[in-house]
Amino acid sequence: MKPKIRLPKITPWRIWVTVLALFLAAGATSGVMVFSKGLSLTHLTDLVPWGLWITIDLSSIAVSAGAFSLCAVVYLLGLKRFQPVARTATFIGLLGYTMAILTLMLDIGRPDRFWHPLVFWNEHSVLWEVTMCVTLYLGVLLLETLPIFANFAWLRSRWPWLAGQMAKAHRLAPYLAVAGLALSMLHQSSLGALYGVLKARPLWYRPDITVLFIISAVAAGMSLTVFASMVAVRITHRANVDDYLLERLSLIIGWILVVYLYFRFWDALAMTYTYQPGRTEGLHLLTGGPLSFNFWVGEIFLGILVPIVLLINRRTRSQPFWRMLALLLVVGGVVAYRWDTNVSGLLIVMSYLPGEPVIAYTMYRPSLIEFLAGAGIVSYGLLAFSLGVRYLRVVDHQGRELHENVPAREMEKVPVPASD
Amino acid sequence: MARNINRRDFLKAAAAGVVVLAGTQIVRQQAGASESSASGKRRWGMVIDQSKCTGCGYCVMACRAHNDISPDITWNPVLEAGEVGGNKVYLPRPCMQCAKAPCVDVCPVNASVYRSDGIVIVKYDQCIGCRYCEVACPYGARSFNWKQFTGPNPAIPEWGEAEVVRRPRGVVEKCTFCYQRIDRGLALGLTPGVDEDATPACVVACPVGARTFGDLNDPNSNVSQLLRDHASYRLLEEMGTSPSVYYLPAIQEPPS
Repeated sequence: MKPKIRLPKITPWRIWVTVLALFLAAGATSGVMVFSKGLSLTHLTDLVPWGLWITIDLSSIAVSAGAFSLCAVVYLLGLKRFQPVARTATFIGLLGYTMAILTLMLDIGRPDRFWHPLVFWNEHSVLWEVTMCVTLYLGVLLLETLPIFANFAWLRSRWPWLAGQMAKAHRLAPYLAVAGLALSMLHQSSLGALYGVLKARPLWYRPDITVLFIISAVAAGMSLTVFASMVAVRITHRANVDDYLLERLSLIIGWILVVYLYFRFWDALAMTYTYQPGRTEGLHLLTGGPLSFNFWVGEIFLGILVPIVLLINRRTRSQPFWRMLALLLVVGGVVAYRWDTNVSGLLIVMSYLPGEPVIAYTMYRPSLIEFLAGAGIVSYGLLAFSLGVRYLRVVDHQGRELHENVPAREMEKVPVPASD
Repeated sequence: MARNINRRDFLKAAAAGVVVLAGTQIVRQQAGASESSASGKRRWGMVIDQSKCTGCGYCVMACRAHNDISPDITWNPVLEAGEVGGNKVYLPRPCMQCAKAPCVDVCPVNASVYRSDGIVIVKYDQCIGCRYCEVACPYGARSFNWKQFTGPNPAIPEWGEAEVVRRPRGVVEKCTFCYQRIDRGLALGLTPGVDEDATPACVVACPVGARTFGDLNDPNSNVSQLLRDHASYRLLEEMGTSPSVYYLPAIQEPPS
């Protein structure tokens, strides 16, 4: 008799997890290689010391901005009905910030000293301020996501008391929203100031990046939250959404993009007016040089203009395809903006010799290791979100346990799910 | 009436307060100004005479040996800087040891700091290797240890012996004005800039005497005298970094 071998059933979920796990393994291998062999495995140089990983770092923090902005909408503006969306955003925020910290651990030369900024303070340093804010905000996000983790069925059955206590952390939500808003306003902008305070880099040395970073982060953060919720609800029955909320938020994102475009327009226009060594060349890299496709197509046309039309126009906004496309484009545009900002400033090499300034150019193309490690980090985010949707119900606009803080009369409006 | 008096009293008090505050401010500034010159605080500086420099690169090699620097890294490159009267002009570029150094401002872990004598140093035990200082330095004076420097140093022993320990992989390093030589020299009662053993290796190695080293705060030091007698400039002065390295430009000699 032939023994029957039971192969695991191939389901879309298993394929998805396997693919992500493969990328994760490749990323982990690259990470181990970087830790053992050092940053010489990258294509970073003394002229371009920051590259792909800094972009991933800045981008994952930017797309996490939905957490603080939606928590502020819910708890400070008092629009309680958006609370389930804020819950998704908070979970995404936790993943984004852990992604950023993972990337930073790769990127710094001495990851064993990651704790130094917490001990050796330099209050003059924008990077120190960012590090402190990110660390504190990670704490805020952990507290904010405790009730979400309390949702884990295994935890609830194994340690019901602990799960109950974790769920009670929800009472802190309004205070955490205030802390999160303050910390995020600080470091989301300071990530732009990181570049903006450097006098040695004329392209960066302007206050505008600071403002543009936080506005674009709010747009991208909200976009990713709405997009991820819409994808989840289309793939699994474990997610459910109130599309009205997502549609309203999409309209708000459209208008945030208008504000973002307005500031970007004046920022860029002001730089075109007079020749300034280094700045003008840097701007030309973006408008006509090797970064021009990224800039015009990625950042401006697909990243801002198209989504503005798709999200403000009611007809396209109410069609899931166009809305999701627009939201994805916003995220892509903001990632492109982070990449372009970093690289454009570094590719310009200013001379310090006396006389008329001479501008030289350098090159940067990430190495395979940088790509693989980056892909691993992104896969971690995707995998963690997928698990969150499946086991923690992070996209759930009907769950009852979420609404402890919502007044009773609003509770009545929430339909009770028929069955699990 | 009572209200009027109160208001007048308040205004008087406020005015007096402003005067007192302004006064202390002035006094404090004066105290600060006299302190630096009277207390004998040193500020090491270097004067590089471009009309003498031949671009031989001896200083680069001496620097590599004495500071045990990897061949991948140069603390002190000699750059070509145009021509004057048909002759090539060179510009050696050590760390400028800025009095207002952008690298010190941006370091998130206080690993780049000023010594009391004005030298900017990197605390290699504290640096996390974020490379923000590299991005911030207008002079490109900083180098990152992308890999560990292992094996023999090709500059040793021909150009000198190592006087400091090698930096580990993953930290930033730069020219230190050979503070190990200055500190040891001072402890032995020598004068940096005058006695070779207390003077940066590049200054000692220069075969044409293009480099001069000394205390900028001492009006009688060789560097102060040179700067008094010659026209000089510093790199990117408009940047406001206040470098401690001065250059005497190569000037075309008038036709005789």
